[in-house]
Order: sequence, then C-alpha cells, then structure tokens
Amino acid sequence: MIFRAALLASAMAIATSASAETKTALTVGIAAQDVGRLDPYFAVSTIDRVLMPWIYNALVRFPPGSIDPAKIEPDLAESWAASPDGKSWTFHLRHGVQWQGGYGEFTADDVVFSLKRAADPATSAFSSELRSFQSVEAVDPYTVKITLSQNVPSVLGILTNYSQGFIVSRKAVEKLGDEFERHPVGTGPFAFSSTMPNQSLELVANDAYFRGAPQIKKISYRFIPSDASRDLAFENGELDLNYGRADQKWVDRTAGLPHTAVDIFEPAEEAQLHLNITQKPFDDIRVRQAFAYAINRPELVRWRGAAVSREAQSVVPRGYLGFTADNGLVANNVAKAKELLAEAGYPNGITVKMIQSQLPEMLTAAQVIQAEMKRAGINLELQVVEHATFHQQIRQDLSPIVYYSAARFPIADVTLTQFFHSRSIVKTPTAVTNFSHCNVADQEIDAARIEPDHAKQLALWAEAQKKIVAAVCAVPMFETLLVFGRHDTLQYGYDLTGSLSLGPLITEKTHFQ
Amino acid sequence: MIGFVLWRMVGAVPTLFAVLMLVFVIVRVIPGDPAAAILGDQATPAAVAALDAKLGLDKPMWQQFIDFMGQSLSGDFGHSMVTGRPIVTDVLAVLPHTIDLTLAALVVGVVLGVPAGVYAALRRNRFGDYVTRLLSLVGLSFPVFVSGIFMLLLFALHWRIFPVIGAARLDDPVDRLTKVVLPAITLGITMAAYITRVTRSAMLHVMSEDYIRTARAKGVPWRRVVWRHGLRNAAMPVVTVVGLYIGILIGNSVLTEIVFNRPGLGKIIVGALNQRDYTMLQGLMVIYCFLIVVVNLLTDLAYGFIDPRVKGG
Repeated sequence: MIFRAALLASAMAIATSASAETKTALTVGIAAQDVGRLDPYFAVSTIDRVLMPWIYNALVRFPPGSIDPAKIEPDLAESWAASPDGKSWTFHLRHGVQWQGGYGEFTADDVVFSLKRAADPATSAFSSELRSFQSVEAVDPYTVKITLSQNVPSVLGILTNYSQGFIVSRKAVEKLGDEFERHPVGTGPFAFSSTMPNQSLELVANDAYFRGAPQIKKISYRFIPSDASRDLAFENGELDLNYGRADQKWVDRTAGLPHTAVDIFEPAEEAQLHLNITQKPFDDIRVRQAFAYAINRPELVRWRGAAVSREAQSVVPRGYLGFTADNGLVANNVAKAKELLAEAGYPNGITVKMIQSQLPEMLTAAQVIQAEMKRAGINLELQVVEHATFHQQIRQDLSPIVYYSAARFPIADVTLTQFFHSRSIVKTPTAVTNFSHCNVADQEIDAARIEPDHAKQLALWAEAQKKIVAAVCAVPMFETLLVFGRHDTLQYGYDLTGSLSLGPLITEKTHFQ
Repeated sequence: MIGFVLWRMVGAVPTLFAVLMLVFVIVRVIPGDPAAAILGDQATPAAVAALDAKLGLDKPMWQQFIDFMGQSLSGDFGHSMVTGRPIVTDVLAVLPHTIDLTLAALVVGVVLGVPAGVYAALRRNRFGDYVTRLLSLVGLSFPVFVSGIFMLLLFALHWRIFPVIGAARLDDPVDRLTKVVLPAITLGITMAAYITRVTRSAMLHVMSEDYIRTARAKGVPWRRVVWRHGLRNAAMPVVTVVGLYIGILIGNSVLTEIVFNRPGLGKIIVGALNQRDYTMLQGLMVIYCFLIVVVNLLTDLAYGFIDPRVKGG
C-alpha cells in the first residue's frame, strides 16, 4: 500500500513537472501546397499574407485582433503629424529597433527604400496603392517625410501592417538580391529559419523584438492542402492552430471537440454577382433588376451557415469605412422578377451563361444561386472551368455574369474603385476587377477620395453606393467570415475580432497556458 | 550489356526531346497566366507586364524555347516562377520522399500480389479463387482518398500508432520508415490488386502449357513445377506490369501524398499546374521523363535475368 502511494506520488510529481513546463513551440496548419515569394510586396495569397505580420512591422498598425481604421496605432513610427492641407506627413521613428539576422538598426533610410520599392510595379504587386505618394524622404535617421500629390482617404491606412505598408531591410534586400524573397528579414516578433518545399516553413522567436521577447519560441507553419487530413491532424493534437472552413458543419463539429475553440473573425469576403451592363441581355436594366429580385439572401445565409456568414447589404462589405445599408437594395421577390423579365421581352424566361471556377466552395455557391434563379425563370448555364482559367477568362470579358467574392482594405474607396470605377474596367490598360463595366458613380468615387471633410466624404461614398445599386451593376449576396480552429491552451494575448492578414497574429504575447 | 544500356540511353534522347517540346507548348496553350497567379486578383496590367518581363515571358515563343532547351541541356532548370526557389533544389528535397513511397508501395504490391495471383490460378474457379478475385476488385475500386482517410482514422486517431502528418525527417531512418507505412499500404493495395490479376492470368496460361504436363508426368515435385517451371515463365508479363506501374506510382501518388501530408513529385506537379508555374512544370517533366526512361531500362534488364533468351536481343 505504502509502495503504491509512493508510486502515485512520484507519478503525480512527474505529471506536475511536465505540465509546469509550458509548451513554446507552435504548429500551424494552413490549406496550401507551398508558400510563394516571401517578399511582403508579393504576398497575395492567404498562406503568404498570414505569415507577413509575424515577420514584419510597418510604420503604424491595426491593434492586434482589430481591423478598425479608426484605431490605427504606432508601430515602427512612434508619432506622426500631418500638415493642415493633409498633403505632407512627418513620421518620427522608434529608436534602437534591430533587424533580424544582424542587419543592424532600423532607420529612416529603410522606410524610404521600402516605400519606393513597394511603389514600383517591377518589385511590388501593390504599387497602385502608393500612386498618390509624390515623395518619401529621410529628414534624419529617425524622421521620414511623405508628400502626397493629392489627398487620399487614409494615409495611415496605406502605411499599416498590410501589403504595401510592411517595411523591409534595405541592407538585406541589397545584400541578398533575389535570395531575399526566399529569406525574408524583418523587425517582427519571429524570424525566418527555413523552408522545406511542399512541407513547412519554420520560424524562430526574435528575442531582440522591440516589444519584448516572444513567449512562443518556434513556429512550424505546415502546408496541408487536404481539408480532411488537416482536420484529422488538428484533432490528433499534431496542430495547435488550424485554418478552418467557413462552413456551419465544420464550425459545429470543431467546436464540439474537447479543448478546442473556433475563432470567427473579420474581414468578411463579400460575394456579388457582377452583371455586364454593356452586354446583352444585361444592357437592359429590367433584366438586371430581375436578377436582383431573384436573389434570396436569407436563404443563401441559411445555406452557408449563420455562424460564418451574413447577408450582404451593399456593394461595399459591411463595416468598411463609408459603408451604408441605406441604398435601396431590393429584397427577394420572384413575381416581380418574372414581371420584369416579361417586360424586357422574355415572358418565357431567359438563359444566360456564366463561366464558373471549379473550386468547390465557389461552385457550390453558384449552384445554389442557379437554383434561386430557376424559380424566377432564369436558366443560369454554368460553364465550369479550372480556377486559373476562370480568372483569366473573366478578365477577358468572356462571361456576361461573374460570381466574385472578395475582401479588400476596409475603406469603401478600395472596393468602389476596383469593382465599380470605369478606370478599372477589365480589358483596359488600367483594368482591375470592374467586370460589370459600371461607370455610374465615377464622379462620387473620385471626389470622395480627395475630400478633406470627413462627413462630406461619407456622403459621397453613400451616394456612390446608391447609384451603383440603382443601376444594378452588381447584386450583393452574402458575406463570409474567416474561420480558424485552435486548441484552447493557445492564447493569442489579445481579442481576435479581425485580422487583415487573414489569419491570427502571433505576437510577443501569444502563449500556451 | 554496357553497350545495350548505352544504346538505350541514346535511344531515349529523341523521346526526351519530344516530351520537352510537348510540355513547353502545352503549358503555354492552356489558359491561365503565371503572372496573374503570382500577383493576385488586384494586380494592374502594368504590374503583370513588369513581372512578365522579369520572368522572360514577354520574349517571343521561339526564344523562350531556345532558352529553355539550353538550360535543360546544361541541367539548370532555373527557378520556380511562383516561389522563386531553384527547381533542382525543390525536386531534390522531395525526391527521397517519392522514392521511399514508390519502393515501399512496390514491395507491398509485389509481396501481396504475386502469391495471391499464383494461389488464385492454382485454385481456378474454386472458392479461394473467387475470394482473391473479389478482394482484388475491392482493392482496385477503393479510391485512395477514401482508403487513406480510413487508415488515418483507424491507425492515427483511434489506435494512435502513426501520426497524421506524414512528412518525415530525411536524416532519421526510423522516422522515414514509420511514416511510409500507411501511405505504402494504401498505394500498394491498388498495385497488389493489379499484380494479382496479371499473375493469375499469366499463371493460368503457363500452367496449361505442354511442358508443365511433361514435367508433372516426369514426376517433378508439384512445388517445383509451380515455382520453377510455372512462375518463372509467367513472370514476364508480371515484370512488364510492375515496370509500367512504377511510372504510375511516381507521378500518380499525388492523392496519397495529399491525404498523408507527404511531400512528393506528384504533389509538386499538381501545385505547379494549378499556378501555371511554367518553369517548374518543364523542369519536373524532364526529371519525370528521365525517371521513366531509367525504370523502363531496368525493366528491360530484368527480362534478361528472367529469360536468358532475351539477353542476346
């Protein structure tokens, strides 16, 4: 008996000592084959975006867990001031910040170099974001002056820890050359260690991080494209953090696992049907209106799941600066849709072809939409193609109706410009993603961008949304949030309500309990 | 023998050349654009043009082809358009995983398939034959993404013998061996099913030959008749199928690699195709083609060992 008690006591001692030693290695599973170029100005896919703020900082940042542009706070810059006309900005930089890998101290020179690099189409996918930056100068090693050619909705927005805002090391880029995109060097909490092709990317803590040494010491970022296998690995405890699926069943199942939390956060991707107003049959507004009446948003949200999606209310996603729900968007009305089609000369219904990606989540959405359209006498003929082909063909104007789901920087200007300004019409030299050839709100969009008075700016954006909705350039449908699964011992160190990098930030405070 | 090998290698050159040309043309004919895949959906035409120039995609087709041929001949396949990493490094990093899986699956396939086929042939149209044929049909019809997930549920989640993430550390032989077991069985079972069927029909054919009857009439022991006179003569079609199947294993193990989270050639090929990574696809095809040529050569050499009559030819 005594022996047993002693055995039990020693077993307990071992157990407590084991649990006292908290885990410091984090394993993350992401749905992708491999990382791309690890240069922040080329990080466009989810897998690359998630990684960037772990390695890099920017002049300013969204507080971890938030995507509210009103809350932007200091990052590499400690303070800043703008001239009264808003065209000249001075940033005072943090002293003593060190680059990872012994590349010395971060200075104004790095900021000038980075912003110029981010503005050059040859070295950046986001150069157009910086088109209003006339000059970036280093006043002294800790002061940077930015001059704008015209007002922009949010200078700080452009300079946050997102896409073009990340600051790279001049020395590292110049020394490493092309190798830099395989060996990133930042000032952030984690430093690049190695990549195993098709397998994983390894990071180590940057103990010299200016906000303090991270509590997590190692991150293994594993590329696991199969949803089923990734979920099994997560369930088996081989992953601490798992890229989830925006699917009600997935959320319910994962939340039901022991010691597991599901994080659902912004930004939401808004799915819209873009109707080409210059092509038959959509050159007739009555046909476009019929499509708007045929869409049943509550049904789409029921299909997608209330936990992960919500009804879209405008051509700009909800919560973006400048969004308004007061825009005249119509509710589902099948009788009205049929009536409009008859008026437009299609009393027996209409058949429209739509080029559609074979990606499962996009294709199933298109099939639900197809069923809704059918009720209104619209026969949506899906031409299913491979995903890269889909992206190319819709940009060649080959599909009069385009299903597109996107999240953008949370300011109305970006979505309105890229999708509804005539400058962005596809197949033009300045094309972005205006598939509808919409041109009804150019004036408001342009005016709002440089309007210094905030209230007037909001009014212009609201007016633009009203006009676009009235012209039915696109039919807003639903918004899908981001989803990650996490073992509940992993604590981010902040409340996760949103992340522009499309994944949780792993900061110096993130730890295991 | 050495002359034979050399002659076969030289004979493979036109094949390789034809494949290179086909790959070069096909990857460019399919719609989709690597620059768009790299730059994402907000890219402006200016950015796409700048990247095209950087990647050399703005050059005329013939010039791109000459560049590509020159590089291939010097063994430098360049850098992946998407990741920017050297193709040779990437391929060499995953090749051991592919070879491990291929060999292990081959062993499973042959060890299960050949005896099962012999057994079924000797029990022709009896209960044992029916069961073997039924099992081989099941093996053929089970897709990897179903059988693989079943394996994971049982062996990883339920019994916790193997991990779900099957990417092994190459410097650790035990780890490599442990992590290849489940994928090799998954992949090997399909192969075993094929081999069973081929072995069975080859054995049936051979066992009805006159020399078998003669051997039995002479009083040669039954076991010796089956293994020495029967199987050895039936081995030719089996070896042919095994050789062909290795080619299939190298490229088609992609589903197994995805389900078991293993790196591998098949997975890289699919990834490169999805992203229109021209340089990566071209490099992979050359390497893949080379492997197939080597496997075919080995198969031909194996014929010589099995059947002395082939040696002279």
